Amino acid sequence: MNNSSIVAELGKIVGDRYVSEEPEIQFLYHYDFITAEPEGKCDIAIMPETAEEVQEIVKIANKYKIPIVPWVSGINFGSIATPRKGGIVVDLRRMNRVLEVNEDDMYALIEGGTTWADFKGYLDKHHPNFRAGVTFSPPGTGVIPSCLCYGMFDLGMLGGTGAEFLNGLEVILPTGELIRAGSCSLTDYWYGRQPLPDISGLFIGWEGTTGIVTKAAIKIWPKLPYRTDFLPFAARVEDGVPMLLKLSKAGLGIVDLLMTNMGWAQSLQCFDQKSVAIDPVSLGLPDFIGLITTEAYTEEQHKAQCDAIKKICREYGIEPLTADVQVRNFPKSMRGVLGHIFPITGGQMPIQFWGCWNFTRGGGGEWIGCYNSTRNIIKYYDLSREICLKHGKSPQYYCRIMFGGHYCVTRTNVNFNKNDPEDIKKTRQILKEIHDAVQKLEGTIMYKPPKWVVQHHKDKTLPETRNLIERIKKFLDPNNIMNPGQGIGDD
Amino acid sequence: MVKEEKIKFVDGKGITRIETVPDQQKLDRHKNLEYYKDILYQCGKCGTCRTGYQEEGWFRVCPSGEFGKFEAYYLGGKNLISWGITSGRLDWTENLANIFYQCSVCLACIQQCQIPEIHNYAGEWLMAFREEAVKKGFGPMPEQKKYTDHISKEHNPYMEKHKDRTNWITSNIKQSPNAKLIYFVGCTTSYREKSVAIATAEILNSLQIDFRIFKDEQCCGSPVYMTGQTEKAKKIAETNVDFFKNEGIEKIITSCAGCYRTLKETYPKKFGLDHGIEILHLPEFIQEKLKNNEIKFNNNLNMKTTYHDPCHIGRHMGIYEPPREVLNSIPGIELIEMPRNKQNAWCCGSGGGVRSAFKDLSSFAANERIEEAKETTAEAIVSCCPFCLNQFKTNIKNDEIKTFDLSELINKAIKS
Repeated sequence: MNNSSIVAELGKIVGDRYVSEEPEIQFLYHYDFITAEPEGKCDIAIMPETAEEVQEIVKIANKYKIPIVPWVSGINFGSIATPRKGGIVVDLRRMNRVLEVNEDDMYALIEGGTTWADFKGYLDKHHPNFRAGVTFSPPGTGVIPSCLCYGMFDLGMLGGTGAEFLNGLEVILPTGELIRAGSCSLTDYWYGRQPLPDISGLFIGWEGTTGIVTKAAIKIWPKLPYRTDFLPFAARVEDGVPMLLKLSKAGLGIVDLLMTNMGWAQSLQCFDQKSVAIDPVSLGLPDFIGLITTEAYTEEQHKAQCDAIKKICREYGIEPLTADVQVRNFPKSMRGVLGHIFPITGGQMPIQFWGCWNFTRGGGGEWIGCYNSTRNIIKYYDLSREICLKHGKSPQYYCRIMFGGHYCVTRTNVNFNKNDPEDIKKTRQILKEIHDAVQKLEGTIMYKPPKWVVQHHKDKTLPETRNLIERIKKFLDPNNIMNPGQGIGDD
Repeated sequence: MVKEEKIKFVDGKGITRIETVPDQQKLDRHKNLEYYKDILYQCGKCGTCRTGYQEEGWFRVCPSGEFGKFEAYYLGGKNLISWGITSGRLDWTENLANIFYQCSVCLACIQQCQIPEIHNYAGEWLMAFREEAVKKGFGPMPEQKKYTDHISKEHNPYMEKHKDRTNWITSNIKQSPNAKLIYFVGCTTSYREKSVAIATAEILNSLQIDFRIFKDEQCCGSPVYMTGQTEKAKKIAETNVDFFKNEGIEKIITSCAGCYRTLKETYPKKFGLDHGIEILHLPEFIQEKLKNNEIKFNNNLNMKTTYHDPCHIGRHMGIYEPPREVLNSIPGIELIEMPRNKQNAWCCGSGGGVRSAFKDLSSFAANERIEEAKETTAEAIVSCCPFCLNQFKTNIKNDEIKTFDLSELINKAIKS
């Protein structure tokens, strides 16, 4: 492949300054820069500005049968935007406009490269009474990729995964055609995926291997005037989880319902590795930290909701102090970025603390993060905790109850120093062990899976289902150019 | 305990709270790239450095990144490229140096990052990288080399004659030949924004300050230092300090943000030239006079203004309030802040050698700031840096908005 002639061809599409094969530019696409996954290889990086330009790029990739990787921030816990087989990385961040906000049907139509910072900044300025559900990921990450990969938001109890916040898509297929999925395929409205055949499913959960999404409508939500964030602590995870599950079935205006263990909270405090307690439980520290966020339209309604939440918490012997009170209980120099999470303490999401909390200042972090049955919350934690402690790492556990309590997310983060090859090696071993252990729990399925987990998915999927997935992938991407080496459809 | 049922939904501010992060490493400043290599990899390229997070809104802060678009032009990219270089993953190239020079070193990015060592020290390795580029022969950029050569001959980067430096001095300006206080005018003011020099000198006369202006004043070295040419800049600094000492100077007032930063910070902290001379930026000096009721304003200027924070006194030196206090004290002046102000101010795009070497980037930055100023409905952009002033004058089209140096407004208000 003569890169220079392809670069010249691509330059005619987007302009020479937005296409590069220079090593300094490529370098930043080779790596995820967060995970312990191996580096990839970017041959050419390009930044289109329109869907039409994306179409032309895809046509060139087909002509030369070279891989093409859709990309917004390139950071996710599975390195699924890392180019595994070289080729062209299509960095979508010039396509970062919010095109329309429909307050009546409560959705925003955004372009494929819109970041959380772009989205929130726009809504705050132009539609201050509405908000998006946003992730714990940093503000520079992409909204649409997050939704397509089942990222989850601070409205997870209310609306489910990011994929469930998607009303419709505009996609450039791997063969270059532009299609639309949802109500937008036959009207100017992007209010939903119903009542047509839901072809959005051809692009959700495929890790960017079936097309490049150039537009999507995302559900937005009203900012209700009353809100309280409760932050109850309990001695052990098993003490608090039954309380969460009861709350999940009680309504009460709960928009977000989650828990972390103390290991995760320590990383929010931004301690460096030397100060982190490997096993906070052995020091007598509480290991269950819940978060219950409730919102209401009237003061009376809010009071009733809060009273009922407190009553349920107390049934389990747990006092639900509010987030501002709990944060104030930490000395200022030990608060880290705890206060960044809650509006009442000045925070707002997406949160600007990525480098601190997740990596305990070593720059690296990866998870085994799974969608799961709520029956597995405690068992998952116990298994992963044991493995982390065996390797001398502080277990960082996090669980979010989703969509009215219909399922949950369970995940264990592992921090490492990405400048230390031994620590990277150890981290890979821990991740493998946790993954293998939690697979024994039926119902546990990893999301944003790295390549080595994808193989496990393939092995476990019903053969007929797997065959269908592979046939769909081949049908959509006959030259296998779209993010090859990633996703369950890859051969 | 707070009665939680009374708590209404409050939009968070998302304000930088780096002081709450424990275990912050204390590092030395002004070191070389090798010294910082074990910090660089902490960056996860999360993109936090691209955006300001304020109650007034979230907004992009990095001219280099917004113009260059590729990650390499943002701080995150630069952190990791630096890591690539120091860890042997990347080799030095001309293009690599080019990327690092396409940055005005305005440091708006580091204000946003929450990793303490990056928040506190990234500005150091951005400069250290330029220094290293010069050592490797990849820097400075050709236009910067050209003005540096001219500085060595004529002591200014504007291709002007040294003998013409004080041509702006009018007969009405009174100097005291033996004064221990000098007005350090600077190159931009001397050759390009003479009205700032005249205004400053007239203000000092009005306040009956004994001062003098060196006929042989030379460039402070800022444009040389900011482009990584540390050794050459240090020689300039040594010449200047020797001159100050020989003349018995005890105090320097300057109307230039770049000269101020260089004389006050770079000379002693980077070059080890502990000159012991008190350095004041004009607004600081005026602020002191205001506190002591030593200034009388005679005229109402009746003008809506917005204030642009120069990077060299703002983020580089932490001076945000004195210019605002002075501006607010002038009769008839209304100050309307732009959304991006103080620590989060958008750079005008003239510093760091950008204006000479990367004109498109420089104009992009200036025009973005001019548009932001216009949106405030202000009649004029006021700043206190002749380089910012000149940049605005060059880029403002069709008199869409006026621009002034703070000294010009002070002088107008004082004149009887």
